[in-house]
Amino acid sequence: MSDDIESRMRAALRPVAPREEFAQKLLAQTIVDPPARSKPRDFTAAKLRPLAWWLTASLAASLVLAVGVHRHLEQQRMQQSGLEARREVLKALRVTSQKLNLAYEAVKSQSEKSGV
Amino acid sequence: MNDAAADPLDNELAKARSGERAAFGVLVQAHQRSVYSLALRMLGTRDLAEDLTQEVFMQLNGNLRSIDSNRHLRFWLRQVTSNRAIDQLRRRARLQWTSLEEETQLFSDEEDSDPLLQRHMRALLAELSPPARAVLLLRYQEDLDPQDIARTLDMPLNTVKSHLKRSLESMREKTAGLVPARCEDNST
Amino acid sequence: MSKYTLTLLIALLAPGLSWAASGPKLTIPSFAGLAQKASESVTITLDPAMLGMAARFLDSNDPQDAATKDVLKGLQGIYVRSYTFDRDSAYSQADIDAVRSQLSAPGWNRLVETRSRKSHADVDIYIMVDHDRAVGLAIIASEPRQFTIVNIVGAIDLDKLHRLEGQFGVPKLDIDASKAAKPAQK
Repeated sequence: MSDDIESRMRAALRPVAPREEFAQKLLAQTIVDPPARSKPRDFTAAKLRPLAWWLTASLAASLVLAVGVHRHLEQQRMQQSGLEARREVLKALRVTSQKLNLAYEAVKSQSEKSGV
Repeated sequence: MNDAAADPLDNELAKARSGERAAFGVLVQAHQRSVYSLALRMLGTRDLAEDLTQEVFMQLNGNLRSIDSNRHLRFWLRQVTSNRAIDQLRRRARLQWTSLEEETQLFSDEEDSDPLLQRHMRALLAELSPPARAVLLLRYQEDLDPQDIARTLDMPLNTVKSHLKRSLESMREKTAGLVPARCEDNST
Repeated sequence: MSKYTLTLLIALLAPGLSWAASGPKLTIPSFAGLAQKASESVTITLDPAMLGMAARFLDSNDPQDAATKDVLKGLQGIYVRSYTFDRDSAYSQADIDAVRSQLSAPGWNRLVETRSRKSHADVDIYIMVDHDRAVGLAIIASEPRQFTIVNIVGAIDLDKLHRLEGQFGVPKLDIDASKAAKPAQK
């Protein structure tokens, strides 16, 4: 009996997924905000080779890519800032709403006591 | 005790600790359901659960250095989520935990889900104190044994066992009517 | 004294103006000492730029976001400081007095002063009015283990703010908003 109720409780408490929009926002935020590094990167000295023409072309392509990535990261940072600002606003208004609620509750309680 | 099979997320953790954002994203994806579900069933509303989930992963972001394995990470996430939720609930002592009017989906709606049991579970969660609620969720959602729960919540083992015992008793009382009656064949 | 300076002085002291020289934005101390003692701190500073940015990321199709966007219209700043402690009386009223004293300046009116024995919460709500419009709101809430200061600057609609409860996971209470709009009750 105990096993049965416990297994039913486990079934009921299977984890649920958050909303898709929230999951995406969370992921976007964590990817934009880099995690703290635990150790410095290991820069091993590479052998110097003469620059081949293909290497020059690769470097040029990398530069173009870097600019594109930079713009993309800028946009992501803007988005991140906007989402952060939105979170802050919601939090601020939640706190405000709660405190107004405290006051309203006290006023209501007083009104009820005095029979208004 | 080392697990016999290596945890593939240990690799992702190592990459994340060395600065790889994508690896951190993998860790978030792997653990967000568990963190969110714990937050949701502790706090009772989707908004609060999402906020707490976000805060927990942001806190993880700044604490990766102190996490040395995925197993440790699971422990850390459960501990931080539970404790932050308990703290929030203590501060909002007047907060009526979700009533049946609240449409927050606390449970899965998969085919084999039991809506009647879910209703009783919702009622049980609502009547439990925050620490007792955390104990119940760590046991039946996260499948931790009582010793691990005690370590996670920094709670005496006997207290954990006591919470579990009372929760089970309460659940049995609630579901007593759901147990199929034994059919006695009195035909002659 | 130059004519310019005199004009400026007269403008500042003119009785017709409802705004105090300090305006609806309060000067909130850093509370660094209290923040260190607190188990949790909430520090939110949203200037017009941040509010504008936030508004762009609020989804008009989401009821909570839409209601929030509505409240944000006309606001120029939201400032929140909230500190929670592990024990009662970890802060003193003197800590809050630097803010409270600003609210006795001309222009600020105390709308509500509540002292609840039931919830042990003292909540004071102040409003600054300019030509019949609320342009500043200040809330000081003192609870045994928490104090909160909220300062909102701009065109405030108290009714909309009150109706936000329920959107944020805060329980809905059956309170008539028109009663809340009545002036000071003790």
